[in-house]
Amino acid sequence: MKRDRVVGILVVAAVAMATGFLVAGQVKAQLLTPSNQVARYQALVHSVQDLEKTNESWRAQIAALRGEIDALEGTAAEQSAGTQALQNQVADLRAHAGLTAIHGPGVEVDLGNGTPAPTVGAQIGYLINYQDVQDVVNLLFANGAEGVSVNGRRLTPLSAFSGSEGEVIIDQGPPLRAPIKVLAVGDRDRMVIALDDPSALPDLRDRELRFSISLTITGKPDVRLPAYDSSLQISHVSTS
Amino acid sequence: MSARPRRSAPARRRPGRAIEIWLIALLVALVATVQIRSQAEVEKSLVGTDTTTLAFLIDDLHRANDALSAETADLTQRKAALQSGGSSAADQELAAEATRLRAIEGLIPVHGPGIVMVVDASGLQALDLQDAVNNLAAAGAEAISVNDHRVAMGVPIQQTPGGVAIDGAVVLPPWTIAVIGDANRLAAAADLMTQQMRGDRRVRQATYRVEADVDIRAVVTQRPFVYANPS
Repeated sequence: MKRDRVVGILVVAAVAMATGFLVAGQVKAQLLTPSNQVARYQALVHSVQDLEKTNESWRAQIAALRGEIDALEGTAAEQSAGTQALQNQVADLRAHAGLTAIHGPGVEVDLGNGTPAPTVGAQIGYLINYQDVQDVVNLLFANGAEGVSVNGRRLTPLSAFSGSEGEVIIDQGPPLRAPIKVLAVGDRDRMVIALDDPSALPDLRDRELRFSISLTITGKPDVRLPAYDSSLQISHVSTS
Repeated sequence: MSARPRRSAPARRRPGRAIEIWLIALLVALVATVQIRSQAEVEKSLVGTDTTTLAFLIDDLHRANDALSAETADLTQRKAALQSGGSSAADQELAAEATRLRAIEGLIPVHGPGIVMVVDASGLQALDLQDAVNNLAAAGAEAISVNDHRVAMGVPIQQTPGGVAIDGAVVLPPWTIAVIGDANRLAAAADLMTQQMRGDRRVRQATYRVEADVDIRAVVTQRPFVYANPS
């Protein structure tokens, strides 16, 4: 009797699970357009997700390798004054190139998406885009920033911004979306004054009014920036 | 007499049955929720992204991952060289790294394949030049100069009463933008940029040419850090 009951419960559970899958399948089928486009869209989404995972893995490897190289150079520098002098030069150059983590006084700029204005139709001005980030970064560098990072991605002399609607791509990183946090180490007071100037960042300030985009500026006594973790290859440049 | 046990038996089984029904209902709800939410999560992360944008994103990520792979191979090679040799190997590696970083930071003259773009216009602003420089950097530029002023991320391009200034020096039009990098990618970007510029009423001329060897002699003066400390 007891065994029959257990079997009965298992059968009911299996039927319940199958019902669950059927219900979910039915709901999904009603939510999504039943066409090949959906399958194609999902395949593209999965490709993006897989590529982002690979991207993260490569960047972790690069960071680890740079750390190991730094340690090996340090060991070699202990054996020779000439090597030590060279290592100091390279350390300074790496710091300026964004290859070293730094900290110091600075500012934090937070950018957040606004809300679509019902009267403005299909405009996408409520989304933070790569040009907004580019404008903030340029303003910071023009006003005493010695290093800048965006959502944890350190900028280098070769850095570039790209992307489409509401999407910010920096160098070889995955796409970023708002909220965006720009951190800068440098002359804090000068940077804060420049950012607070009502005539600075005219496009952002205009959209702040029209779409309630959020732009927050905070001076900080100590800001920490990570080291750059991507490629810095210059395969087409010759120096001789 | 016989009715009692029949009435009392269901009464004893009722709590057990109720639990079973609740468990089954919970299981159905759980399976359905997990299924629907997993679908919703996938959609939420890329909400509003159309297939064309996704295709471009995939292309960008492929290119980025290829660059990261090349960097990993290069770093692995440098690590092996440091492991195999003593301080002389380290000296060689460090000297090569110093030269490479000086080129990246714009501290030394460089040359190589690329493009030269000429833009003649009146009324262009610092933002226009910042956009142009960023577009070329996004197309793989490894060194850029504008009217013999070296430009890189961190070199200020600002609007002044006298016009657009690079690191404090006013650069009057026409702007000659020299760029070193993958000539094909740069030419594709320059083609698009000059087409767009020609549609701008302020622009009198916007052209570009591909060159086998673009020479950039201008350099940036490095400023020592005042506020930043190594972590």
